[in-house]
Amino acid sequence: MRGLFHKVPMYWGLAIVLFMLLFPFVNDSRSTLILLTQIFIFAIFAMSFDILLGYTGIVSFGHCMFFGIGAYSTAIIFNQLEANLLTFMIGLVIGIALSVLVSYIIGLLSLRLKSHFYAMLTLAVSQLFLVLAEKWRGVTHGGDGFTFSVPDLFKDRTSFYYITLLSVAVVFILLKLFTESSTGKVLKAISQNEHRAEALGYKTLHYKLIASVTAGVAASFSGALYAVSLRFINTNVFSIEVTLDALLMTMIGGLGTLAGAIAGAGIIEFLRHYLSELAMAYPIFERWTIILGFLYIVVLLGFPSGLAGFIKKLTLKKKRKVKKKEELKKIA
Amino acid sequence: MSLLKLDNLETYLEQYHILQGVSMSVEEGSITVLFGRNGAGKTTTLRSIMGFNPSTTGTVHFHNQNISKLSTHLISRKGIGYVPENQGIFSGLTVEETLNLAKAKSAGETEAKMEWMLQLFPDLKKFWRKKSGLLSGGQKQMLAIARAYINGDGLLLIDEPSKGLSPIMVEKLMESLLKMKEKTTILLVEQNFLMASQIGDYFYIMDDGKIVHEGLMEDLKEDKETCQKYLGIA
Amino acid sequence: MEVFINLLVNGVSTGLLIFLLAAGLTLIFGLMSVLNFAHGGLFVWGAFSGAWIFTETNSFLLAIAGAILIGMGLGWVMERFLIRPVYGNHVRQLLITLGGMLILSESIKIFWGPNPIRVNMPGWLEGSYQFDGIIIIKYRVFVIVIGLLLYLALWLLLRHTQIGLMIRAGVMDKEMVQALGINVKGLFTFVFLLGAALAALGGALLAPYSGVVFAEMGMQYAILAFIVVIIGGMGSLQGSALASLIVGVAGAFAAYFMPDLSLALNMLLLVIVLLVKPTGLLGEKGSAV
Repeated sequence: MRGLFHKVPMYWGLAIVLFMLLFPFVNDSRSTLILLTQIFIFAIFAMSFDILLGYTGIVSFGHCMFFGIGAYSTAIIFNQLEANLLTFMIGLVIGIALSVLVSYIIGLLSLRLKSHFYAMLTLAVSQLFLVLAEKWRGVTHGGDGFTFSVPDLFKDRTSFYYITLLSVAVVFILLKLFTESSTGKVLKAISQNEHRAEALGYKTLHYKLIASVTAGVAASFSGALYAVSLRFINTNVFSIEVTLDALLMTMIGGLGTLAGAIAGAGIIEFLRHYLSELAMAYPIFERWTIILGFLYIVVLLGFPSGLAGFIKKLTLKKKRKVKKKEELKKIA
Repeated sequence: MSLLKLDNLETYLEQYHILQGVSMSVEEGSITVLFGRNGAGKTTTLRSIMGFNPSTTGTVHFHNQNISKLSTHLISRKGIGYVPENQGIFSGLTVEETLNLAKAKSAGETEAKMEWMLQLFPDLKKFWRKKSGLLSGGQKQMLAIARAYINGDGLLLIDEPSKGLSPIMVEKLMESLLKMKEKTTILLVEQNFLMASQIGDYFYIMDDGKIVHEGLMEDLKEDKETCQKYLGIA
Repeated sequence: MEVFINLLVNGVSTGLLIFLLAAGLTLIFGLMSVLNFAHGGLFVWGAFSGAWIFTETNSFLLAIAGAILIGMGLGWVMERFLIRPVYGNHVRQLLITLGGMLILSESIKIFWGPNPIRVNMPGWLEGSYQFDGIIIIKYRVFVIVIGLLLYLALWLLLRHTQIGLMIRAGVMDKEMVQALGINVKGLFTFVFLLGAALAALGGALLAPYSGVVFAEMGMQYAILAFIVVIIGGMGSLQGSALASLIVGVAGAFAAYFMPDLSLALNMLLLVIVLLVKPTGLLGEKGSAV
């Protein structure tokens, strides 16, 4: 836990949480609340992806499948049963159980493979889920999707806002603890040099499986919240764009920091909101995804450690400058 | 006049400081042998000359021209032939294809060089259409040397050619290298002292990324103390 | 019988279209260990620009030539600005080529709108042949002929030219090829442009075949091509050709007899190959494990 206080200055985190807690009292604009709720949901999704890419160095191009599994499980259960909290719990548990199963099987079959094979395989499997959702019309209503009702607690924008805020905080702390644990340290070692970790006697496959199941569970949870927030679902949750969202958010925020993933989710969702509003005035912005794509490439080429790395560099430079000044003073 | 001259070469592999200021020179028309135990930096020295692991500081001069900042293919085109430690055989290519590839960007009289190599290593002619991967260990070594000779022009870098060969093959190899010496300069990395001491003119000994000894091969044979200290020979 | 032959023709022609995509992928991977996730983007650009030039000029040959040129231009930009800067870093390569894919398929929507576009068949390729009551669509025969010719041309290029020799040697040992004075970077650019041209051509040929083109089909076909490349063995042209035919024919039969399972069938093929022979059917190096 100590590391937690070290890495994310505690007062910053607290200040942000406090601000977010008070926010609905200051500004009760519906659209802002909805936007923030979306940010919280995608922050959880981005953090789950960060466990894979940032902490373990696993490149998955099919992360949307867990998001989709969580979303569909909840949506289908709400469609079949009464809209109460117990139903939500059942849906959540089913989604998480399915994600554990799927991530475990995929991991067992393919985590031994080299990174590009794994990336390709996960992409293909996620597309398989997309096809499945499209063809299994009896349950999913295919590409048209279906609406469903949710408990009143979730219908109210303010209370749902607090639920998602709480979720982000809890998931952040849990994942932070996970990455600071001894398992998390092995994951970091794997991301730096898998062969060395293996030579040190760690069963890397075992640890990579743990990482991918953990990521799958968190992604599934965020998917469930996403479905509830929309009260509607269609096959889009399985689309490659969802995986790309996770990639963008973690890359822009900074890999392997969790906090970076949250910041990335904020930036991307804000941009998306802003750009799609611009699109009403200037049709060229209807294709804002391409702007995100260029941003992503610029970040990859120019700032490979994302916003978090950039800030770190800046503060390091500052510190060095201060140090230099002090040294100069001493000499003088 | 020295054909190849290394001046204070320093090379890192990842964070490891492998070459820590290597200086040596190879005289034209000689066989110069680079000795040293495993991990001393012999292979890295050759790889730095070839530009695979470029040095961070120091220079390599070939024909009095600084080649240390060039990329590998340009270094090769200056006329340096290279035989790597693992022989670097293109296992899916036939002997014919391999030697044709060596000619592709080669300088000098490629036809004459090819003919001479086939004369020196008749096995290559015998297995002209055979896949290189199917040759014996000795034949692969000959193919690698022939390829480097045909591709190069004036200098051959050969990394531990005797490794894994039978004593008879080593004997043959020595004879061939002595014959080749008449037409090309050779820088040889070797652990087999018995073999190298018979064909070498000059020697360098490396230890921990530095040159610790150098001189005429004849003198080294007499110098029991150095032999014992660095080469483990009593 | 008629059904059988028709499905076979469909399968072989689709398989050869996939092969055009897979050939570039497998060569690029073999030579430079880059799995190009943006390859499908070149394919879909070929499809759209070919269709567009055809409607504008009404010349199918011009359409194909234009598509190839555009594909090569985009391929050049991609190689120079996306792939070269991250050369040697597998993770960043994967991430950046996926970004390239996103940009290519989104920019399609900027030029041609987000909706699918109808494509007409060139007049001289319309219609069908009849043998003993078996009807075979002309255009499919055309695709098969072109596909086989291109396979032959690629085979000749790799087997009987000097640059082909260099490429094959580069697939086996990149360093040694450089030590022989050959500029591997130049070789890679050549192979990348060749791959881009084949992908764009594949797209341009597909457009009249399927009658309609849409931005997402780049990813769909890229996934098929990935499956083909892995089944056939990374870096092996013959392997890709063989696997393309298997996937194409299996897909055609599956689409007829159990339409819901066609993608699942390919995935099943892939899993079996990965479990039984991770190097692929004809792959020697570049094992998946």
